[in-house]
Amino acid sequence: MKRMRVTHTTGFRYRGEASASYNEARMLPDSRPGQTVLSAHIDTRPSAPQYDYRDYWGTRVTAFEVLSPHGELMLTASSLIEVAPPVHEACALSWPELSDLRVSSVEVVEQLPQSRRTAPPDELVGLARDAVASTSTPCAAAELICARVGAEMSYVQGVTKVDDTAVEAWAARRGVCQDIVHVTLGALRAVGIPARYVSGYLHPNPEAAIGETVVGESHAWVEYFCGSWRGWDPTNLIEVGDRHVYVGHGRDYDDIAPIRGVYAGAEAADTFVRVEITREA
Amino acid sequence: MADLFAGYGASPASGRRTAAFDEMFSDTEGAGLGADGAVLAEARAPYRELYTALGRMTQTELRGRADALANSYLAQGVTFDFAGEERPFPLDAVPRIIPEEEWVDVEAGVKQRVKALEALLADVYGPQSAVRDGVIPAKLIATSAHYHRHAAGIESANGVRVHVAGIDLIRDERGAWRVLEDNLRVPSGVSYIVSNRRVMAQTLPELFVKMAVRPVGEYPYRLLQALRASAPAGIDDPVVVVLTPGVLNSAYYEHTLLARLMGVELVEGRDLYMSGGFVWMRTTGGPTRVDVIYRRIDDEYLDPLQFRADSVLGTPGILTAARLGNVTIANAVGNGVADDKLMYTYIPDLIRYYLGEDPIIPNVDTWRLEDPGALEEVLDRLDELVVKPVDGSGGKGLVVGPAASRKELGALRRKLIEDPRGWIAQPVVQLSTIPTLTEDGMQPRHTDLRPFAVNDGDDVWVLPGGLTRVALPAGQLVVNSSQGGGSKDTWVLGRGDAPTTGPHDVSAITAAQAAPISVLTGAYGGENA
Repeated sequence: MKRMRVTHTTGFRYRGEASASYNEARMLPDSRPGQTVLSAHIDTRPSAPQYDYRDYWGTRVTAFEVLSPHGELMLTASSLIEVAPPVHEACALSWPELSDLRVSSVEVVEQLPQSRRTAPPDELVGLARDAVASTSTPCAAAELICARVGAEMSYVQGVTKVDDTAVEAWAARRGVCQDIVHVTLGALRAVGIPARYVSGYLHPNPEAAIGETVVGESHAWVEYFCGSWRGWDPTNLIEVGDRHVYVGHGRDYDDIAPIRGVYAGAEAADTFVRVEITREA
Repeated sequence: MADLFAGYGASPASGRRTAAFDEMFSDTEGAGLGADGAVLAEARAPYRELYTALGRMTQTELRGRADALANSYLAQGVTFDFAGEERPFPLDAVPRIIPEEEWVDVEAGVKQRVKALEALLADVYGPQSAVRDGVIPAKLIATSAHYHRHAAGIESANGVRVHVAGIDLIRDERGAWRVLEDNLRVPSGVSYIVSNRRVMAQTLPELFVKMAVRPVGEYPYRLLQALRASAPAGIDDPVVVVLTPGVLNSAYYEHTLLARLMGVELVEGRDLYMSGGFVWMRTTGGPTRVDVIYRRIDDEYLDPLQFRADSVLGTPGILTAARLGNVTIANAVGNGVADDKLMYTYIPDLIRYYLGEDPIIPNVDTWRLEDPGALEEVLDRLDELVVKPVDGSGGKGLVVGPAASRKELGALRRKLIEDPRGWIAQPVVQLSTIPTLTEDGMQPRHTDLRPFAVNDGDDVWVLPGGLTRVALPAGQLVVNSSQGGGSKDTWVLGRGDAPTTGPHDVSAITAAQAAPISVLTGAYGGENA
């Protein structure tokens, strides 16, 4: 078990002043099997009344509006979480068994269609089909797809934009975790493996000293369905473990963007983000 | 007497194998032939009074009255948007008549349908038991373009999602009623019912004298009651508004009429704002809290925070206020998942599943192109079927096989193969015909019927009659106003609450039939009467 404190600061610096803004943040983790949230809250500047709800995907959402002129909007999400190492049981589900299961519930079947962001180029579909041909179960194929896509792509900041798609990222073979996950989702779904986008945090150092604060990042990984949802982190070529803090999931980034908002008055806005993670136990 | 109907049906309404059911004459072939007056016997019983009354007029006389109808509509601004151009919505002088005993079944069938659709929506955005029990496939919901995940968790205080429904009905070649499609998002057209009745009563009062026609003026009152009944809990005197996209919308006339008849404010998105979890209306007297929004804006434009960030029609944050239970949005967001035309094919099963009843009004036979074999069969018979996109409305994208060119069918074939989920196919149904005054005299024209149902949470009320749309070109089977159609006043006969002693004074007939505006606004203290 690891206990981690995550401080995620983000927001908008408007060009000019916004006369009003309406926002939704998806930055608070929730307790779930293997993860216990000891505390989690968001502060906003300017301060604003908050409405908390759980959205369709079960993600904790903090909605708030600022109706006085403001040049900058800043959110700080602070949470203290305990994460246990996940138990990955060997999975022997066969392809015929998967094809029955994957249409049995909306929750699974809705993770099969490609979205604008995940639609895969032909070459990527070929990679996924090869992986299926060289393995015997969906679970083994999924793992191989994640590993191969992850190995093909390099993690490079600043070369992709927030609204880029799998096609663009795959062509460049570069991107941030968000891009690598969209590419991986495209490949998994192309061979009929339901897969979803997970947003959260990752402690970058497996051997981190207790009490040491490091600069981390918002992170993303995939979960694929082989009878149950299993997490894999193609950016780091690892299974999801006790350094991963789960915030929520969706079909792609758009379902779980950490912050989205609309504003009036200002011409444009620049975003900023900083994540700090401290291992406390 | 023979003059008006001379030659009726002599040129068939369409090049057809099966004759359409004519609602006025039991034998259209013979109806127009007799210059000897024998035609009277051919009129069906419910139409006999009307036939006699019309028979007292010459064609010239009726044309004069019809022109008066058209002018009255122009003056009132009753128009619809056809291919980007505002045109008067033509009202035909011959009403449709539905006898009481027939209406009882139609009404029961519409009520049943709306109750099942409400249950379906509560299930889809709730436990999804119909999926678990194998009545509908999970994929049907998951792949619906109108399954709005943003709507999950939003429920009005009385649980109603379908405050207003428009259920489109047709009569097949045997005269049997069938459901053609359900409209649960922003069904429009009710203003034409109210206006048609008022204008008909003014222009052709003598037609009303002998018949007990059930009035339609109650609609705004019923709608307002239903909207108030769905207000957040604890509000004694809820503030209701009608939210319109604005003057450029083709149904703007309807939005203004409904707001006026209900005695409530007509607002645009920019007149509202969300603050502190509540929705407020800007007024000269300061902000006023809004409790119920009867919105005539599509889901995608309602709240830029949730849907299209570029929408300038909506109000950011109103979905949050609805989620908090501080405002009711009517109709509910996300209803489109239930009026998807693929979902339509499952509604008879869903009526049995949710209500334990057999459907009172059957569907039109429909192929689901996703079913094994169905796509193949449909592709083989494309030139004899009607093919519709599942999430279209207003007849958009619909292809009538027998009327389509080879090129159009080729393009359609490619679309169906590419996206079978996106389409359904139906046999060409010869919609029933009703005599309609055309350039060539009185001629049979195809019609459908859109009854409107209002759900106040306790009961579903169906407006007697509905909007009868008529396809004006001979043989045309698509009756949408957006496809160049017209309308007919729709008369449901009978029942005690209708005035049976026919008032001979025109203003009294008008008042009884279409309810004067002052009565309603007086009762509700509307500010903009």
